[in-house]
Amino acid sequence: MAYLNWLIWLIPLLPLLGFLLNVFVVRRERPAGLLASGMVLGAFVVAVVAVIGLAGLPAESRRIMSTGWQWISTGAFQVPFGIMLDPLTAVMVLLVTGVGALIHIYSIGYMHGDPRVVRYFAYLNLFITMMLFLVMGNNLLILFLGWEGVGLCSFLLIGYWFERRSAAEAAVKAFVVNRIGDAAFILAMLAIFASFGTLNFYDVEIGGVIQPGFLERIPEILGRTVGPSWQPIAVATGISFLLLIGATGKSAQFPLFVWLPDAMAGPTPVSALIHAATMVTAGVYMMARTESLFQESLATQSWVLWIGALTALIAGTAAVAQWDIKRVLAYSTVSQLGFMVAACGMGAYVAAIFHLLTHGLFKALLFLGSGSVIHGTHDTQDMRRMGGLRTAMPTTFWTYLVGAAALAGIVPLAGFWSKDEILAHALSHGNWPQLIILFLTSLLTAFYMGRQVALVFYGEQRDHSYHAHESGRVMTVPLLILAVGAALGGLMNLPFSIPGGHWLSDWLNPVLHEEPGEFNLALALLATAGAVGMGYLGWWVYTRNAARVKVGGKDPAYRYTGDIWDGMEEAWYLDAAYNRFVVAPFRALGGFLARVFDPQGIDGLVMGIGRFFTWVGGGVRGLQSGYVRTYALVFTVGVLLVLGFVLIFTR
Amino acid sequence: MFPEGFPIVSLVLWLPALGALLLLLVPRASAERARQVALAVALLTFLVSLALPLGFRPEVPVAGEAPAMQFVESVSWLPLWGVSYTVGIDGVSLWLVMLTTFLLPIVVLSTWGSVQNEVRNFQILTLLLTTAMLGVFVAQDLLLFYIFWEFTLIPMTFLIGIWGGANRVYAARKFFIYTFAGSVLMLLAIIGLYVLNREAGRAAGMADYPGTLNFIQLVADMRGGRFTLDTLTERLLFGAFFLAFAVKVPLWPLHTWLPDAHVEAPTAGSVILAGILLKLGTYGMIRHCLTLFPQASAWAAPAIAVLAVIGIVYGALVAYAQSDMKKLVAYSSVSHMGFIVLGIFALNTEGVSGAIVQSINHGISTGALFLIVGVLYERRHTRELSEYGGLWKVMPVYAGITLLVALSSAGLPGLNGFVGEFTIMQGAFLAPGLGWPFLAFAVLGVVLAAIYLLKFYRALFMGEVSNPANQALPDLNRRELLGLAALCVPIVVIGIYPWFLFGPMQQSVADVVNNLASAVAGR
Repeated sequence: MAYLNWLIWLIPLLPLLGFLLNVFVVRRERPAGLLASGMVLGAFVVAVVAVIGLAGLPAESRRIMSTGWQWISTGAFQVPFGIMLDPLTAVMVLLVTGVGALIHIYSIGYMHGDPRVVRYFAYLNLFITMMLFLVMGNNLLILFLGWEGVGLCSFLLIGYWFERRSAAEAAVKAFVVNRIGDAAFILAMLAIFASFGTLNFYDVEIGGVIQPGFLERIPEILGRTVGPSWQPIAVATGISFLLLIGATGKSAQFPLFVWLPDAMAGPTPVSALIHAATMVTAGVYMMARTESLFQESLATQSWVLWIGALTALIAGTAAVAQWDIKRVLAYSTVSQLGFMVAACGMGAYVAAIFHLLTHGLFKALLFLGSGSVIHGTHDTQDMRRMGGLRTAMPTTFWTYLVGAAALAGIVPLAGFWSKDEILAHALSHGNWPQLIILFLTSLLTAFYMGRQVALVFYGEQRDHSYHAHESGRVMTVPLLILAVGAALGGLMNLPFSIPGGHWLSDWLNPVLHEEPGEFNLALALLATAGAVGMGYLGWWVYTRNAARVKVGGKDPAYRYTGDIWDGMEEAWYLDAAYNRFVVAPFRALGGFLARVFDPQGIDGLVMGIGRFFTWVGGGVRGLQSGYVRTYALVFTVGVLLVLGFVLIFTR
Repeated sequence: MFPEGFPIVSLVLWLPALGALLLLLVPRASAERARQVALAVALLTFLVSLALPLGFRPEVPVAGEAPAMQFVESVSWLPLWGVSYTVGIDGVSLWLVMLTTFLLPIVVLSTWGSVQNEVRNFQILTLLLTTAMLGVFVAQDLLLFYIFWEFTLIPMTFLIGIWGGANRVYAARKFFIYTFAGSVLMLLAIIGLYVLNREAGRAAGMADYPGTLNFIQLVADMRGGRFTLDTLTERLLFGAFFLAFAVKVPLWPLHTWLPDAHVEAPTAGSVILAGILLKLGTYGMIRHCLTLFPQASAWAAPAIAVLAVIGIVYGALVAYAQSDMKKLVAYSSVSHMGFIVLGIFALNTEGVSGAIVQSINHGISTGALFLIVGVLYERRHTRELSEYGGLWKVMPVYAGITLLVALSSAGLPGLNGFVGEFTIMQGAFLAPGLGWPFLAFAVLGVVLAAIYLLKFYRALFMGEVSNPANQALPDLNRRELLGLAALCVPIVVIGIYPWFLFGPMQQSVADVVNNLASAVAGR
């Protein structure tokens, strides 16, 4: 299988080539779109070929390592520029290139006529490249290269319509909030290198020398007996906690999720690709990859679990109260990411990756569907101005319904299986508080999707300032493909011992070393009943009360909930709290240092010293009067003093 | 390429000065001709200097105790006092010399736009300044080093004081007095070192020993135990050297001359100042503080690292609060230079080599940022951020290059800044005297860098074109594009393949840190 060593390089390099060509050569819309889509599609095809090759290997040797060159190499610090393909990377690569290709194609229709569309496709290609480095890197630093690279692309694409103030603000906010997590990530890498002497995940052979990997050496390092006995645990806890902070930034978890809802200022396909299907799942991928490190620290694991569960609930409540079609989906994404993070915290990494994959399919579908709605309603995003669109846009409606049902967790669609696996794991491991929180969140999920479907597609069109129309083929075909994926995605990991059952568990077993989860019929029935019931309720409430929804008006439920509704709409005022307690003091401190402390304090001291010497100089200058009599006087006094000194002290 | 013994270092060193002489032949009024001659000299210098990395042997067997210098030329100068004209380079100075010769043509290129009066004299001073700076990097005799060191002040002061902005005389005087005052003690220390060395030699029985100021020999004597300093003397001498370098870097809280100098200096002056002149300080720390005074360096390292970390955070905070583009970039330098000093005083290979790489990176990225500010200043004659906005639409190429440079400065992986910064942080983390508490603060600099650079970027390029004066700004012309594109090449190349920098310096850096470690251990 030696060909895999070079073949896997094509996967990230094809989109990179597309990026370079679109930046430096291509100037027109049509070739730009075709080139970008073609490159990602090509990467997908290569990925499929490579994964088939990988599957042909025996399970324990399914890890292709390929090193290009030594990236950073000085003293003991050695980091190769290398990529790899193993079962975990494989599923991520297929998701990124597969969903990515569909979104590229969709974008050809969605972005048609935009004046800067060539740049858009260039950014999109760069994003795919960086995302592929993220999931393919064979060490933490390459992962980090992709990690910050996708952050940059996110900045560029959120700020794609940079003339808009909201877009510019959201872009900067996304990058800065991500950077906070990244700083923790940097610290974690420094600590990992200091503890393990390497940043490689697994052993890498370079020029005949084997550079060790830290993931397989954890027991041996942690088992050492130098220093106090709690030290290894403290090290593992410290490192994994820092990684967790990194993940909360990228995967939009509490308390750093505030950037994601604002990120909806970017074009909708971008929201589908970056802010739902791929980039935001990077934190989950990273935690799954470094799973053996997290497993060493019970303390961090419980933090992971609680952060995930609470994020799921907070964002789930916020999603209920949004009017913007994309913000509902944004908060829903945060909430679903919370499910995945919570699964990581429980040690159910297969379930987390399973949910990551199915979520990637159905959330991309929902976002693209919402994009189709926005496109067909001439840039309307406020659901109060929609209504009754199911007749005008049948394909969008039906595919959206599939996506919504999959998200709500209705049998037998993809979301049901993956969410159920997380809940079942919580049950079987006795994580009761988190189980209850996640279960409630899944009820909320069904409710807000029912509400959204009712508001957008049912009732009467409430605003007639536009003429709604179905989108073109180039947009609806990706919707249909994704709808099939959202419907059948659960087949990846059916929780039954049948041929093809537990396929994902078995596939990931060499990496995650996890036994397949158990199916709990009672829980599954309860969850399904809840999902159907709450979904219906949401739909029913908002179709019955459709007449009460007014453009610019309050939600029908506002009457009964009041302030609570306001709180949900503002995601419990976390943004406002940051502005007051972090941003404002930061500005004040910067202003004080720049305008008071630096010029008057430090520079004042410097200038003061300067003035002191000027003053002394002025005083001394007075002595140089030019009068001989003065000099004679000084001379005489000096002689007397010296003589006196000699006479008194040297006798 | 060159025969053995060819004075290649001297050639590179004196070519700019010869060019300055040549420029005297150009009539004072013919500005265009002066620029062309200067550019030709600059390009020639760069081309000749390419022989240095090509001929440099990364692995030469270390002969005895002396640091391994290459291309050494030595001519006796004042034998009575052991003064000689000795020049040579090692893996540390190699890349700083290359940075200087690489930036020079770009600086000269920028004068087409930024300098309009007394062009010939401007070029003469620029070329003289270049020779002086190169001299600092290649001199291996302490007196020669000091002469070059102080000589850099004179052309730079004139560049600021004659071609600067409204408040130029104040800024030039402050620059001169501040950095001069910082260096005076270094002269005393050099003399002290000489006297002590002579006494040590004579005490050892060499009656007519004239003493030496030859750096290579001094270091060999020290490492060989023939010349030792007692603890207090070493610390005092270290302090005198360090103060001079710390002012130049500038290390917090000695930085206040820098923003004034930058704001008033013409674009070309700012590029030289940020790109090269500040590196004289970091170079001096590695070459002189760490090598001559290893024990004192180890003794002072934690305190210096504290100042460096304060500088990182402080510079970034103050940079954020600026509304003047040049001040913003100037304070960002304070922050970035803090990283470099932190790396040097990690006292290990990772930290020191990271610091050297970051010196190069900072020269490229910050030099580019000053050029970028200059581009706008030439068009609009204001540096206020609030005057701009929406330029992404008007000047897309300019916006794209600025983005790349800003990201490089913010330390995005894949670009040069990250490589240096991360290596420095790794070095500081591994240093037994420093460790994670320092990093916990230093890493704030990474976050803050993103904040102030994106603030800068957003203010310039995002939003609507609100100011009618910006409606029709022309994008980069060919000359500007050439200069900035030339800087973008190393930004990307160093980011992806930094080994070409790290490789040749490995041995030199290891030599410094290993001897430092054994000196500390042997005390």
